Amino acid sequence: MNRQRPWDCDMATVFSLDLLANILDRVPDPRDRKSCRLVCRGFLRAEELHRRSLRVLRLEVLPGLLRRYASGLECLDLSVCPALDDRSLSAALAAGVDRLRLRSVSLSRASGVGWRGLMALVDACPRLEAVDLSHCVGVGDREAAALAAAAGLKELRLNKCLGLTDVGLAKVAVGCAGLEMLGIKWCLEISDIGIDLLAKKCQDLKELDISYLKITNRSINSISSLGKLEVLNMVGCSDIDDEGLQSLKHRNNSLRSIDVSRCENVTSSGLTSVIEGSNCLQKLNVGDCFPELAPHFLLKLNCLKDSLTVLKLDGFQVSASSLKIIGLNCKNLAKIGLSKCQSVTDEGISELVASCVHLTTIDLTCCHLLTDKALMAIGDQCKQLRCLRLESCSLITDKGLEYIGTCCSNLEEIDLTDCSITDTAMQNLSRCSKLLVLKLGLCYMISDEGLVHIASNCRKLHELDLYRCVEVTDDGLAAIATGCKLIRKLNLCYCTKITDRGLKHIGHLEDLHDLELRGLCHVTSSGIAKIAIGCRRLSELDLKRCNLVDDEGLFALAQYTENLRQINISYCPVSGMGLCMLLGTLKCLQDVKLVHLSLVPVEWFEIALRASYEKLKKLKLLTGMRKLLSPLLIEKLQLRGCRIRWVDKPPAAC
Amino acid sequence: MDLKLRKPPETSSKASSTMANDISKNLKPDIQFIRFDSASLGYGVGQDQSMSEVSPQLVSQSRCFYAPERETKIKNHLGLSSAIDWNPRLMLSNLSFLEQKIHQVQDIVRSIISQEDHAVDRGNELAAQQQLVTADLTYIIIQLISTAGTLLPNIKNALLSTDPAVGQQPSSAVGTNANLSSCAGQKPIEILPPEVAKSSEYDELINDLDACAGEGDELINCLNNAGGAELSDSMPIDDHDAKDYDDGMDGENLPPGSYEVLQLEKEEILAPHTHFCLICGKGFKRDANLRMHMRGHGDEYKTPAALAKPSKEASSEPPIIRRYSCPFVGCKRNKEHKKFQPLKTILCVKNHYKRSHCDKSYTCSRCKTKKFSVIADLKTHEKHCGRDKWICSCGTTFSRKDKLFGHVALFQGHTPAIPMDDSKVSGAPDQVPASESTNGMAGFNFTGSTTPNDDARSLDIKGADDCQGYFSPMNFDACNFVGLDEFPRSVYEVSESPFSFLSTGSCSFIQRHGEN
Repeated sequence: MNRQRPWDCDMATVFSLDLLANILDRVPDPRDRKSCRLVCRGFLRAEELHRRSLRVLRLEVLPGLLRRYASGLECLDLSVCPALDDRSLSAALAAGVDRLRLRSVSLSRASGVGWRGLMALVDACPRLEAVDLSHCVGVGDREAAALAAAAGLKELRLNKCLGLTDVGLAKVAVGCAGLEMLGIKWCLEISDIGIDLLAKKCQDLKELDISYLKITNRSINSISSLGKLEVLNMVGCSDIDDEGLQSLKHRNNSLRSIDVSRCENVTSSGLTSVIEGSNCLQKLNVGDCFPELAPHFLLKLNCLKDSLTVLKLDGFQVSASSLKIIGLNCKNLAKIGLSKCQSVTDEGISELVASCVHLTTIDLTCCHLLTDKALMAIGDQCKQLRCLRLESCSLITDKGLEYIGTCCSNLEEIDLTDCSITDTAMQNLSRCSKLLVLKLGLCYMISDEGLVHIASNCRKLHELDLYRCVEVTDDGLAAIATGCKLIRKLNLCYCTKITDRGLKHIGHLEDLHDLELRGLCHVTSSGIAKIAIGCRRLSELDLKRCNLVDDEGLFALAQYTENLRQINISYCPVSGMGLCMLLGTLKCLQDVKLVHLSLVPVEWFEIALRASYEKLKKLKLLTGMRKLLSPLLIEKLQLRGCRIRWVDKPPAAC
Repeated sequence: MDLKLRKPPETSSKASSTMANDISKNLKPDIQFIRFDSASLGYGVGQDQSMSEVSPQLVSQSRCFYAPERETKIKNHLGLSSAIDWNPRLMLSNLSFLEQKIHQVQDIVRSIISQEDHAVDRGNELAAQQQLVTADLTYIIIQLISTAGTLLPNIKNALLSTDPAVGQQPSSAVGTNANLSSCAGQKPIEILPPEVAKSSEYDELINDLDACAGEGDELINCLNNAGGAELSDSMPIDDHDAKDYDDGMDGENLPPGSYEVLQLEKEEILAPHTHFCLICGKGFKRDANLRMHMRGHGDEYKTPAALAKPSKEASSEPPIIRRYSCPFVGCKRNKEHKKFQPLKTILCVKNHYKRSHCDKSYTCSRCKTKKFSVIADLKTHEKHCGRDKWICSCGTTFSRKDKLFGHVALFQGHTPAIPMDDSKVSGAPDQVPASESTNGMAGFNFTGSTTPNDDARSLDIKGADDCQGYFSPMNFDACNFVGLDEFPRSVYEVSESPFSFLSTGSCSFIQRHGEN
C-alpha cells in the first residue's frame, strides 16, 4: 500500500543533487526532462533547485511554479501567458518566497500588465536585470516610472510601447543609470530631448535600438557621447542624414554593429564617416538607404578588413566591380545580404565568393539575373555555407542546385520560393542532411516524389513551406510525416489536393507548433480532429477558407489542442456554438481572426467574446461588427490591452 | 462738466456725410470723459495703464473742437487759400474757453489748499481732487495745442497732398514721415519760416506746464522731438520691428564710427505714441496706423499716394547707418560706455530702456508674481502663465519640456513628474474587470494578500516616488497626489494603521484626500 518503490529513494541517496542536476543539464529536450521529473523525486528535487529558466504557458500554474522554483529561477518568460494582468501577476509574485532571484523577466505582449503589476514585480525581484515589455502597446510613462525603481536594470526592451514619451524615458534613464541595453523601437513619442537625456544619464549603454523614431541629427550627436556603445540600430530614421552620422566620426571605436537601413537621407558619405569613426565594425546594415554605392565608400571598407563579418546591402545597384572590391576588402565576411539588388550578376557573385570563402549566409532574394553559374561559384567556394536565400531567382534550375547539394553539406536553410525547380532539385538537396528550413512556396512543379527525397534524408527538418505546391498530395505528406518527425512549422496553404487522409499523417508530427491549412477545400472536420488529437503542441493554426471545416472541427480543437494560442477561422462555415466552444474552452487562445463567419449571429459573437475577453490580445473582425457588438464589450476588450483590427473584406473573394 | 455744451454751433450746420460721422463718434467719448472725471477718481496719477486707456478718449474729446478747422483745411485743399488761413474767431472762442477752464482749475486748487488747513484725514477726497486737477490740466494742454495746431495742418496738408511738386521736395524726410514732429522739424522751417515761432511758442507753453504728469507727456515728447536737433526726421519703425524684442544687435559688429549714433531722451523713449494726427491729435504707435486713421478725415487721405508707405526713394546715396544710444549713463548701451554696444532701432531703444531702467509695473494677473516693464513681455508671459505643465520631481515647474529636461540632466536624481491626465488613463483599466473577475483569481484583492509592511512600503514608495529625497510642499501638491488619488482604496485605510507614522506628511494628505 504505502510501499515506496525501491529505487525511488535510492536515486537521491546514491547520487547527490548536484550530480542529478548535471545529468538533467545534459537532457536538452523539455519533454525528456519532464519524463525525468516524473520518474523519481530525486530528479524532481534536483530540477527544482537547478532550474534557471521558465516559460509559463498557463496562468493558473504560475503561483505554484514560482513557489517551487523560487530558489534557482533566474529567467521567467511570461510572454505567452494568457490573461495575465496586474492582479494575477502580483498575486503570483506574492505567493512565491520572500525574495525571488529572478534576473530576467519577459512580459512581451503581456498587454494586461500595467504599472501596478510592474511595481509588484520590481518589488519582489530585487535582482532584476532584464525586462522585456516589447509590444505592450498600452505601456506608457507610468509603467516606465515603475520600472525605474529597479535600479539594477541592465537590459530593457520597450519596443512598440506606444504610450512611452520622453518623460517615461527620462524616468528610466535616471532610475536605471546602469542600463546597458535599451530598445525603444517604434516608441514614436520619443524625441531628441529624451534621447539627449538618456545619453547623459546612461553612460554604460552598449546596445541601443532607436529604429523608426522621429529623431534628428541632434540625437545622433548625443548618442556619439556614449563611449561604450557597441550596437546601434537606427532603422528607418528618415530625419537623420549624413551630417548626423558625421558626429559618430569622432568617437572611440567601440561600435561593433550599426544598422542604418531605410534611413532615406543617408548616403555614402555619411557611411564613410561612420567607418572612419569605428574601425572595429563587425556588422553593417545599410539596406534601402540610397541606390548606388560610391567608390569612396567601397574603398573605405578596407579599414574594416579584418573585422567586418556581416554586410547588408539590400536594394542597392551593386555592379560586379563593386562586389569584387567588397570581396577584396572584406575577406572575413560571413554574411552578406544582397536582397533586391537587381543588378547583381553571376560575374559579381563569382568575384565576391572568390575572396570571401568563409561566407555562411548569402541572401540573394530577388536577384533576377542570377543563373546556375552563380550557384556553381558559391558551391565551389563556400563550403561552410549554412543559409542560402534564392527567392524569386527565376533563372536558376535543378542543375545549379545540384552543385549546392553536393558541395554545401552544411546547408541548414534554403529558400527556393518562386523558383522554377523540380523534384530533381529535391533529390540533390536531400544530400544536405543538416537541413532545418526548406521553403518551396510557389514551386508548382514540386510533387510527392520530391518530398519523398527530402523525407528520406533530411530528418532534422524543422520548417517546411509548401505554399501553393499544388502537385503535393497526401502521399507526399505521408512521406514527410514519417521522415521528418521534428517538423515544427508546416505551411500547406492552397495545396488543394490534400485531403483528410493527408492530415491524418500530419497528426503524427508531435512537435508541430505552427500549421497553415489555408484554402484546403477537401479537408473536413474529421481531418482537423486528427490533427487536434495528434499535434498536442499546436499553438498556431490557420484554417481560413477551409470551406468544409465546421463545428465538429472546432469542438475537436477545443477539446485537444489546449496550447492553441492563435487561430484563424475566417470564412469557415462554423456556427455560433462552435465559436463559443472554441473561445470559451481554450485557455491559451490569444489571437483570433474571425472575419466573415456568416453562420454566426451577432449574439453568439458577443457571448463568445465575453467568454474570452480576459485572454484575448489580438482580434480581427469585420468592420461591420463594430456597430453590432456592444460598446461595453469592445471597451472591455480594449481595456485589457486587446487590439482589435477592423477589416473590410469582400465576403467571397478567392 | 459742461463740455458738451461747448460744441461749436458750426459743426451742426455743416452736414457733410463724413462730418456727421465724426460727430456721432465724438459724442460717445464725451460721455465717457465725463464719467471719468466724476467717477473714476481712484486712478493713480501718472500710471501708465490708466493713462494709456484714457488718452484716446481725451484726444477724441478734443476732436469736436477741431471740426471747423477741418473745414478750413479742406478748403485749403481745394485751393481756396494760401498756406496760412485760419479762423481768428474760432481761435478766440477757444482761447476764452481755455481761460475759463484755467479758472476752474485754479478754484479747485484753492479749495485743496484751504482743505489742507483743517482736514487731515480726508486723503481720499484730496486724491480725487488732485485727479481732477490733473485731468483738467491735461485737457487744457491738449486743447491749447489743438488750438495752436490750427496753424500747422496747413503745412501738413501741403505735404500730404498729391501735388507732385510738393511730394518731391528736397527734404525727403518730410515726405517719409508726416507727423507733427517732423512737420515742426528743422527742414520745414526753411520752407515756411513763420512756423518756427509758432512751434517754439508751443515748446515754451508746454514747458510751463511740464509739471502735469502722464497724459501730456506724449505731446510734450512729441514737441520735444520736434525741437530736438539730433532727432532724425524719419523714425525707422516698421511693423515687423514690433515683434523684434531683441535689445541688441547680436551678430552685428559694426566698427565704431561707421554709423551715426543717436540718443533719444528719456521722455521720448517713454512716450506711448510717436505719430499724431494733426487734425484730431490722436496718437499712434505706427505711421501706417495713422495713415489708416487719416482716411476718416476726408477723401483726400484715401488716395493711393496718401496711403502708400512713404518711400525713401529720394535718397539715392547709400543710407547712413544709424544706431541708437541709451540715455542712461553707465549703461553698456550708452555711448559713453567703454564697450558701447549700440541699439539697432528705436524699438530696441524703447524696449531696452523700459526693461533695464524702468520699474516693472505690469504684473501678471494670473500668477501675481511675474512683473514686466514692457507690456508685450507681459502678454507673452500671460500666454503661457499657468500652463507650466512640465514639472520636475523637486517641484520646480517649467513651461517648456527642453528646459525641464535640461534641469533633470543637471541635477542628480531628479526626474520629470508624470502629468496628471496620463495617470488617470493608465489607472483605469484595472477598475473595470475588478468588479467581475470570475476566474481562478476571483476574490483576490490587489493589496489584500500583501503584508501590512508591504502596504506601508508601497505607500512610502508612492509618497516618495517622484521626489526621491527632494521633498517640498510644492512638489506634493503638484505631482504626488496624482498617484495617491488613483491608488486602490485600501491605501487610504492604511493611513490610519500603526504604520502611518512612516510617512506622516503623505498620510495626513491621504486622509484629507480620502474624505473627498
